[in-house]
Amino acid sequence: MSIHQENTHVSHLTLDAVDSDGAIRESLDAVQGDTRARFLAKAGLFGGGAFGGAALLGLTAEGASAATAKSDVAILNFALTLEYLEAAFYTEAEQMLDSSGELALFNKVVAAHERAHVSALKGVLGRKAVKKPKFNFHGTTESEAKFRATAQVLEDTGVKAYKGQAPLIKSNAILEAALAIHAVEARHASWIRDLNGAPPAPTAFDKPLSKSAVLAAVAKTKFIVSPAKKKTARRRTTGATSPNFTG
Amino acid sequence: MTDVITVDLVDREGGVREALDEGRGATRAQLFRRAIVGGGTFFAGGMLIGGLPKLALGAPSASQDVEILNFALLLEYLESEFYIEAVSKNTIGGETLAFAKVVRDHENAHVAALKSALGSKARSKPQFDFKDTTSDPDKFRATSIALEDTGVAAYNGQGPRLTKATLAVAATIVSVEARHAAWIRRITGKPGYGGAAANYPAPAVLDPSLTKAQVEDAVGKTGFIKG
Repeated sequence: MSIHQENTHVSHLTLDAVDSDGAIRESLDAVQGDTRARFLAKAGLFGGGAFGGAALLGLTAEGASAATAKSDVAILNFALTLEYLEAAFYTEAEQMLDSSGELALFNKVVAAHERAHVSALKGVLGRKAVKKPKFNFHGTTESEAKFRATAQVLEDTGVKAYKGQAPLIKSNAILEAALAIHAVEARHASWIRDLNGAPPAPTAFDKPLSKSAVLAAVAKTKFIVSPAKKKTARRRTTGATSPNFTG
Repeated sequence: MTDVITVDLVDREGGVREALDEGRGATRAQLFRRAIVGGGTFFAGGMLIGGLPKLALGAPSASQDVEILNFALLLEYLESEFYIEAVSKNTIGGETLAFAKVVRDHENAHVAALKSALGSKARSKPQFDFKDTTSDPDKFRATSIALEDTGVAAYNGQGPRLTKATLAVAATIVSVEARHAAWIRRITGKPGYGGAAANYPAPAVLDPSLTKAQVEDAVGKTGFIKG
């Protein structure tokens, strides 16, 4: 196949799928509402579940147990939502995509990274962590061309998202963790771009993207088909373990 | 990563330390004049790279920003000169040369942006000696990986020490360094990266950060900075 031809898909992530506009907005509202409600309900933040993720991120008491700013919790949950999406996308592609060679290696390595980012963020957030939304990747995990294009957009967007949030983070420990992830997303972006025949580093300066702009971009993909679940929800979400045959 | 770039190189440890001391000295001296020099010199650079308002306004941590940006400038000088020389020698060839040309332009842009942001507080460019790492393709690639990985770690290490406005600007550079690192790692390692995760374009779940002292030690051991 011609990689270069497939690159024309990269900037057109909007898919002609069932209209699920608003799903990401609902998801965000759930994130914020969830955070807000529990912030008020709990004085003690980052409880017992924090250890694993906090340890992975190198966070000490400052990040994992002190009274973390409400805004930092919101940023972490925003990041977690993006990482849920990436992790589910690559995990589903590991199962669905008939790839080989370096593309398969990229998929495997990045899937593991994104799952680790999810675990780390969930660990840091503890009971404050938003639940995983339900995803539908609309065949992008089954078609090699669509997978390549989607991965490139997801990684570039991830870089922009972390970059946009970094200066807003109050806790130094959380900032260190965000910067550590930010650079890895940039490496992923460079890797898949090179695999796709696109410039790995297209500009001397990478631009940031605001939270609202990121959410708008994600909404256009229609990948999120149900809001992030609040803690009281019992129904298990799918995505990572239940691929959708929608291509 | 340090091991790679020290191989076959004369140890000139101390060169980078002196260079950095010089930079700090200049910064200190210039800080006394800051009230007079004012925000004017910062303004042009601030506009160029997207704004450094707190620095321009002389916020309490502006002096630390200056110190850190001069540290970053030294690293960018080093990278810039490394790629300029490699492209000029024109012996590394093919995809590696194509990489060097693009990255040279990026590092030049980073240097220009930092110099402009620092204005009169910008440190001067030291003399460099890259030996044959700019002509031998294998040594060039190994050195490039080390420089780019170290650049990412250096920026990430300084991130929490910057004012938020300056962090926002530094963040636009660090991810480009990470892209460079992944790119040259892919060129070096493909197709199979020797089966080792450490050779992957993205070798770890989290990118490590280094302190200023750690970066200075690593750069010092290369002997690239003659002072």
